[in-house]
Amino acid sequence: MELVIALGMNGIVWGLIIALIALGLSIIFGLLDIINIAHGDFFMVGTVLAWFVLDTTGNYWLAFLIVPIIGFAMGVVIEYTVIQPIKNAAALSIVATFGLSIILQEGVRATFGAAPTRLVPPIQSTIQMFGLEYEVYRLFAAAVSIAAILLFFGFLHRTKMGTWMRAVRYDPETATAMGIPARKIYMITFALGFAMAALGGVVAAPITTVDFQAGVDILPFCFMAVIIGGLGNLEGTVAAAVMLAFFEGVMASFADPTIARIGSLCLMSIVLLIRPHGIFAGATR
Amino acid sequence: MTPDKINRLGIVAVALFTLLAPWILPVFVDEFWVDIYSEMLIWSLLAASVNLLFGYVGLLSFGQALFFGMGMYGVAIGIAKIGLGFWPAFGFGILLSTTMALITGFLAVRLTWHYFAIITVVFSLIFYFTALSWKPLTGGDDGLSFTMPPIFSFGEETAISLTDPTVQYYFIVLMVGACYALMGVVLKSPLGRAFRTVKENDMRAALIGLNVYMIRLTAFVIAGFVAGVAGALFAFFGRYASATYMFYHVSGEAVVWAIIGGAGTLLGPVVGTTLLITLREELSDVWEHYLIVVGVIVIVVVIFAPKGLGGLWMGMVNRIFDKSANGNQPKEGGE
Amino acid sequence: MSPTQILEIEDIEKHFGGLAALDGVNAHVESGKLTAIIGANGAGKTTLFNVITGILPPSAGRVKFLGQDITNKPVHEISKLGLARTLQIKSVFNGMTVRENLWIAAQSRDGVFKPFQRASASSRANQVADQLCEELGLTQFANQEAANLSYGDIALLEIGIALATEPKLLLLDEPICGMGPAETEQTVEKIRNLAKRIDIVIIEHDIEVVFEVSDEVIVMAQGKVLARGTPAEISTNAEVRTAYLGDDDDA
Repeated sequence: MELVIALGMNGIVWGLIIALIALGLSIIFGLLDIINIAHGDFFMVGTVLAWFVLDTTGNYWLAFLIVPIIGFAMGVVIEYTVIQPIKNAAALSIVATFGLSIILQEGVRATFGAAPTRLVPPIQSTIQMFGLEYEVYRLFAAAVSIAAILLFFGFLHRTKMGTWMRAVRYDPETATAMGIPARKIYMITFALGFAMAALGGVVAAPITTVDFQAGVDILPFCFMAVIIGGLGNLEGTVAAAVMLAFFEGVMASFADPTIARIGSLCLMSIVLLIRPHGIFAGATR
Repeated sequence: MTPDKINRLGIVAVALFTLLAPWILPVFVDEFWVDIYSEMLIWSLLAASVNLLFGYVGLLSFGQALFFGMGMYGVAIGIAKIGLGFWPAFGFGILLSTTMALITGFLAVRLTWHYFAIITVVFSLIFYFTALSWKPLTGGDDGLSFTMPPIFSFGEETAISLTDPTVQYYFIVLMVGACYALMGVVLKSPLGRAFRTVKENDMRAALIGLNVYMIRLTAFVIAGFVAGVAGALFAFFGRYASATYMFYHVSGEAVVWAIIGGAGTLLGPVVGTTLLITLREELSDVWEHYLIVVGVIVIVVVIFAPKGLGGLWMGMVNRIFDKSANGNQPKEGGE
Repeated sequence: MSPTQILEIEDIEKHFGGLAALDGVNAHVESGKLTAIIGANGAGKTTLFNVITGILPPSAGRVKFLGQDITNKPVHEISKLGLARTLQIKSVFNGMTVRENLWIAAQSRDGVFKPFQRASASSRANQVADQLCEELGLTQFANQEAANLSYGDIALLEIGIALATEPKLLLLDEPICGMGPAETEQTVEKIRNLAKRIDIVIIEHDIEVVFEVSDEVIVMAQGKVLARGTPAEISTNAEVRTAYLGDDDDA
């Protein structure tokens, strides 16, 4: 039973981190109409940058500040060089971001190395809860994710930029006609998506391994959250991420984790097939 | 000379080179390139299956590795677990992949665009994880190897088998060639034209009375068949099957080969596959991280030549003939 | 119902969310007459075409074509029964040649699931395609990609595609929209000639054109049929004048 609770709690923590990353994926999909195969690698780059910050400064907390900024900057550069030129060929975006994914993975392998590394969490104490010793850092990770998600929703609904983003998503042509700089919004959206994935990387690095292939595992999971939550439904994405991770976590306590993964993938295909129009409608209007 | 003739010449040249490769290649490069070339031919079929869907019907499948894997496991399980002979195992692999294409296609072609790409990845991932965890049957991570049964045996003593490198090479060439011939015939048929209408404008296609769903499903099954043949051949080639080849990265690579070679041309996938595998073989010795170069090439091609090398070639040929003949040449080439 | 009624529309409703785009449409099209549907933007004309051709399922009601119930039939089956249409935004196969565009439409009558036959050996479809190229004056562009045609020629090609399917009834959705005066005149002439062979229903904004070509006019407003009659009757109908001709500057 203790194992079930522990894995269930781990699942929720993980789900919140995934939610943060998947939100980035969802806004990129929703606004730019791009399937970002490299999104998992944005997360991976975040974990590696976090490791790098710790390695050079010895202070992990700095990473929470610096890494999202670097991620944002990388997002701007990538949007300008890769995404912008293929904006009008939606199918090719999958291929281009696949190329991007190869570059990021191999680039990290070339610089960071191929061997997975574990980081020591900046908080190492444990706390007594639900009859088990639970790592405080995991609770902290959950708190940071929640804060970042709330901040994101606040940004989307309370700021001019956020309103513009929603307007461009709703109807790019009218938005442009109204004088909203759609071009700039696309760039900021993509960069924001990268920054959120990178922040997810910083949060997650101490509880997972830093590995150039980390993005490959996380990408399908993010897509599941986005699809099951309903495209265009950002709150749904968050809920789906947490539920899925909890479900997989609990499943993993009595079954092979792979079986749990197959279960969620089947769930995702059912959602895709049964509500394609519902999902479709949600994405476009 | 017309563009059509030039393209036909190109096909003849590729066919001749392929037939004579065991003699031509060793003159210029190491003999193992014959082996690599036959591997390229197999992989080009996987790219061709992507191309059939994307280049002709307009569906981007990111899950063709699933059917490749089915073909591969059909052969390996057929021989190692069921004890089938060479041909029954080959047939079993192809049957498995085609059936899988029919079942998954039945569901998947209801969706289009991004949603189609996503569902094909999801389906392939489901079976990838299944293959990983079903160790007694598939061997999981380690894969499943087998001993090659003979193609034909005459009595006890003599047998023709793929263990003979020459037999293996020509067997692969024959099967790959047959698949390309099949695709060539289908693409020139009324069905092939119907494929293109669906890619161009599915609403208009339905309005003139074409059953878009059935057309997409047919293309999906043919593509699954072709990918299955590739997988079965690859199992024979490597004498083993492994779940690794069902992962979405393999599907992604096939998409890259098809698009770089030029989607919508019959030989584009061959060009793309040959080029990128050659690049891999050559660059990986020089620079361990050659994949960065591959990634850059992918992005550059997508941005500057979205129709791939095949598209560049067709554009060039057409321009030359537009100038000299002053006529309006049909652009439909590579068929 | 008399056999001359080629198309019967019975109590068709179509709701999008809470909005009723079609709110109980009753109408019929008589064979041998060119019928025009007019109405302000948002009156539900194109939605009605979409329901008739099977693109949108109606929320309620029935559509009968040649006496046969075609409600909820798939688009391609309705086409096979002999109902063709053009779209408001011109819709052809851009990446295929003009000839291939017409060829595939003709071939659709003979079936396309023939993977081992050569397309070029389909003599009937070849013949239809060549003949239509000539009829429409597109022979010189026969081997050009449709995307390279002028706007007017694309509109012609779209009508040609519809004709290649040998329809019994042809629905034209704003066929002259976006055309210059010369092109308009030519197209109107073509439509008038066509109407001698096939039954045509046309959605059109240009009232002059409508009154010029049509035998029968159906006026739609707010998802309903407001009035129906000959052009002369409609032009003097007080209700139509206030509700449509007076209200809408477009008209």
